[in-house]
Amino acid sequence: MARYGMLIDTTKCIECFSCRVACQMQNGLPPEESFIKFYGQEEGTYPHVSYYTVPVQCQHCENPPCVANCPTGASYQTEEGVVLVNEEKCISCKYCMVSCPYQARVVSEKTGVVEKCRFCIEEVRQGKEPICVTTCVGNARIFGDLDDPNSEIVRAIAKKKAKPLRPDLGTKPKIFYVR
Amino acid sequence: MVWGSIIAWYLFLAGVSAGAYCTAVWVGWKFPQAVTIQRTGYYLAPPLLAAGLLLLVIDAEAGLFHPWRFLYLFTNVPGSMMTDGTYIISIFMLITLYQAYLTFQGKKAPGWMTGVGLLFAFGTAAYTGLLLGVVKAVPLWNTSILPVLFTVSALSTGIAMTVLLATLTDQNACSQLISLKKIHFGLMILEGLLIFIMVYITSSANETAFQSVMSLLTGEWSLWFWIGLIVVGLLIPLLLEGLELFHSRSLQVTPAGVEATASGTGSSPFALTIATEGFVLIGGYLLRFLLLAAGTFVTLF
Ligand code: SF4
Ligand code: SF4
Repeated sequence: MARYGMLIDTTKCIECFSCRVACQMQNGLPPEESFIKFYGQEEGTYPHVSYYTVPVQCQHCENPPCVANCPTGASYQTEEGVVLVNEEKCISCKYCMVSCPYQARVVSEKTGVVEKCRFCIEEVRQGKEPICVTTCVGNARIFGDLDDPNSEIVRAIAKKKAKPLRPDLGTKPKIFYVR
Repeated sequence: MVWGSIIAWYLFLAGVSAGAYCTAVWVGWKFPQAVTIQRTGYYLAPPLLAAGLLLLVIDAEAGLFHPWRFLYLFTNVPGSMMTDGTYIISIFMLITLYQAYLTFQGKKAPGWMTGVGLLFAFGTAAYTGLLLGVVKAVPLWNTSILPVLFTVSALSTGIAMTVLLATLTDQNACSQLISLKKIHFGLMILEGLLIFIMVYITSSANETAFQSVMSLLTGEWSLWFWIGLIVVGLLIPLLLEGLELFHSRSLQVTPAGVEATASGTGSSPFALTIATEGFVLIGGYLLRFLLLAAGTFVTLF
């Protein structure tokens, strides 16, 4: 079974927000709701400063606190390690939201269900890639199987020394960042 | 704020319900003749808890629109802290309902049931703290002191609510219960200490926790924290109740003093009791609200 993950190369991100818009279309989200958030980061001290932006979405943690804390079993992890929400079971208690260190969850204004990035799993199962990956203008995103040593993503993670955000929190996130 | 004032009300009401139940049980053991306060406690516990649960349901709008989804709360085993809490609160709700019914019939519950009830009352109170305490993503909440603090506050606000309502129905219902007031006094001191310890320990946990604590002590929420929680919720009630306790000691020795008590003009003037207990309740709500408000997520970078 595959174990899906993603690499995001912030040095290639041009902050065009195409991924967010594509994701909103794909998931039928209204303009004010989105699964991808952007965090602008400044580094260094004047005059040697740099600015880059970090797109953050559900990290599909291997050890997801949102799943552990969901009281109804609505949040769950598939065999591919993708974290999903069964909206038929969600009561919108928002326990997953307060449990997620990456603040990846969004309450749907319409249904009250708490949603988030689902790695476009239906499309991926048909052999496609998540829409944020295919849309990315700067080719900043790579998607693939972390268990396959020959996959593009595994090689890129090693080569670019990509690291997850806050690995010290122990959630084992599966999105790796080049910064 | 993912969880706002509605959840704060829920945490508060569940705590007061548990505390009111404990008050009724304890008074029943210690002062079996003080019927009004026992009745008040037993009658208060179920509707307060029900009101809290109703608020929770309103906040969970997907469940509100599809009520059957709440059944999953019982089928998700082994569960999250919230699943465990659902079991604890449901059992406590049934016990309080039954005991309120027995009280209405003028009967007493068997001792074992009261014992189980007490256990679940403490379970309910501690659960409201554990619910937040296990959340690692919010460092301000992620401490083992929180369940203890919420339990102490639940007992304190439970006594306050019961004494308040009992006094409203009968001015002298509680004026003789000096040892209950002593316990209440002790609980408030303990609560103050626990808040101090929590603030002290949490602020050194990490940067986010420090920022959260600072938003309470000197930042955005400082006015509510110092004036609302510390002064109104703890110091003024401590002062008023302390004076009352001090006063009661001199009164008890003289027959005139006891008479003064009985006529409602002595150690426990009506207005004073109402104010003291009212302030404690305000403090109890603010404690929960402020912890929710000041709780910020860990930083990502
Ligand atoms: S990033 Fe958040 S929502 Fe996604 S799996 Fe991890 S804890 Fe759950
Ligand atoms: S809001 Fe829904 S998915 Fe999130 S913890 Fe509650 S029931 Fe589970």
